[in-house]
Amino acid sequence: MIEVRNLTKYYGSLCAVNGVSFTVGDGEIVGFLGPNGAGKTTTIRILTCFHPASAGSATVAGHDVFTESMAVRARVGYMPESVPLYVEMRVREYLRFRGKIRGLDRDTRERSIARVTERCWLTDVIDRPIGHLSKGYRQRVGLADALLHNPPVLILDEPTIGLDPTQIRATRALIRELAEDHTVMLSSHILPEVEATCRRLIIINKGQIVASGTPAELRERITGGSKIIVEIKAPAEQAATAIRKLDGVRAVETHADGDWCSLAVSSDSDRREAIFRLAAQHDWPLRELRRDVATLEDFFVKIVAGARDAHSVAHTTGDQQR
Amino acid sequence: MRNTIAIMERELFSLFFSPIGYIVVAGFLLITGVIVLVTGSIAPGKPATLRSVFDFTPYVLTIIIPAISMRTISEEYRSGTIETLTTAPVTDTQFVIGKYLAAMIFYTIMLAGTLVYLVLMMIYGNPDVGASLASYLGLLLLGASFTAFGVFTSSLTKNQIVAWMLGMVPLMLFVWFAAFIVQHAQGGLRTAFQKINVLRHLDQFNRGLITTESVVFFLATAVFFLFLTTKVVESRRWR
Ligand SMILES: Nc1ncnc2c1ncn2[C@@H]1O[C@H](COP(=O)(O)OP(=O)(O)O)[C@@H](O)[C@H]1O
Ligand SMILES: [Mg+2]
Repeated sequence: MIEVRNLTKYYGSLCAVNGVSFTVGDGEIVGFLGPNGAGKTTTIRILTCFHPASAGSATVAGHDVFTESMAVRARVGYMPESVPLYVEMRVREYLRFRGKIRGLDRDTRERSIARVTERCWLTDVIDRPIGHLSKGYRQRVGLADALLHNPPVLILDEPTIGLDPTQIRATRALIRELAEDHTVMLSSHILPEVEATCRRLIIINKGQIVASGTPAELRERITGGSKIIVEIKAPAEQAATAIRKLDGVRAVETHADGDWCSLAVSSDSDRREAIFRLAAQHDWPLRELRRDVATLEDFFVKIVAGARDAHSVAHTTGDQQR
Repeated sequence: MRNTIAIMERELFSLFFSPIGYIVVAGFLLITGVIVLVTGSIAPGKPATLRSVFDFTPYVLTIIIPAISMRTISEEYRSGTIETLTTAPVTDTQFVIGKYLAAMIFYTIMLAGTLVYLVLMMIYGNPDVGASLASYLGLLLLGASFTAFGVFTSSLTKNQIVAWMLGMVPLMLFVWFAAFIVQHAQGGLRTAFQKINVLRHLDQFNRGLITTESVVFFLATAVFFLFLTTKVVESRRWR
């Protein structure tokens, strides 16, 4: 549904998006995650034909965003980050206008307006001026507009930013519901946001894709590199040597603390049981034995801090400048 | 066509909704009203004519027309609605023409307000209705040209007031000093200035003459500035 190849965008000399490639399959719901300034909005604006790329190409619903821009625009429902609206219009007037420029005839238009107002819980405010609505309602008007022509592809830029927790929950539920019959791509700079709604995540930082996969896959990659923390009453060196001999253990760091020592064990699999038996065999008292599970959050924070984890880099492409 | 009309309707809605729209109309009718009174156009015993109104109006329009057109495109940039509009299946030309037509309709309605004077005059005396209608046609065509220029300046900035200034200052310089330049220029320059002298073209209409040259002059400048506007809108995407 969405195919992006080596997309690059310069603002003057600033490279906002640098050789980004990814695909979003038919019917998928994909989260586009990255810190502020990562290049999410820039990428999305290229996909929605708001501005052209400096290099690379993208197709949406089988049409090139540059050469077949009108076909793409007809098939995409887009909600921009700031949800710009005409504040002097009433919700119904606004949706009628949007329906007209979407090419919907009068009957279809009125039916579509009825459908989206119900779906986005706008029935109560349909005849109110948009300027009088709260942020949450405006967001829904933006969403209703994106759904009006029943597009196969929905692209939502930070759809829950600025909402209160109740509204966030309602919006998430709505997006999940929409994902049943639309291909959805939504961006966010908050991990739990996309983790809760999306089947797959694409993580972008400084204009480059740094990782992509399902939340479970990403988590697995991280926990694959997780550590077992052991606190044991034993001579540090002796304990470390014994643990190193266990199957699958790659490295052991020791830290002596009086009679006790603490060990950080890197292993390919979970070796806690073996460590317990080893301690029992040597009659070493144990006061802690736990797996230090890295969370996706840690992973994301690490990426944001710029420390890219070697084995979690999905693919990065070199400079695409020309 | 449908898109153009939808954009025009929406823009007209905002123009009529905004206080600026009413201030502009009130200001224009007030000024022309004062001109009618001061020049004694409607007075017993004098020949009934709107000539003085038609002579003064172009000067007033250099200020009024950019005020009508200033918000058309700049406001879309300021509010960010340009993003939802240009990601819908609407071409840049439809967008620009829709905006232009809205400003033109607003201008036409405002101008129609002055028909009151013509009606009053027909009650009091026996004005030359034919000549007056020719003058109205002249003002409409002049408006078509000035409005296109105003829409063009509105596409250059996201600040309405800046758009107004950018529209007003060149028009004022052009209209207010046109006669002066024509008088003092020599040779080819003088002929060139005469060709583009808005007041000379308008004067033809005021004398009841509808010449192809003048009609083409106003329409061609309108098309020229609308074309420039679409180019500006297009190029702003590339930034
Ligand atoms: N119109 C613009 N002109 C110049 N620089 C821009 C513009 N829009 C965004 N940028 C810059 O491009 C980078 C990426 O921005 P953006 O795509 O908005 O990031 P995100 O949406 O991920 O927060 C940022 O450094 C931002 O300052
Ligand atoms: Mg953004």
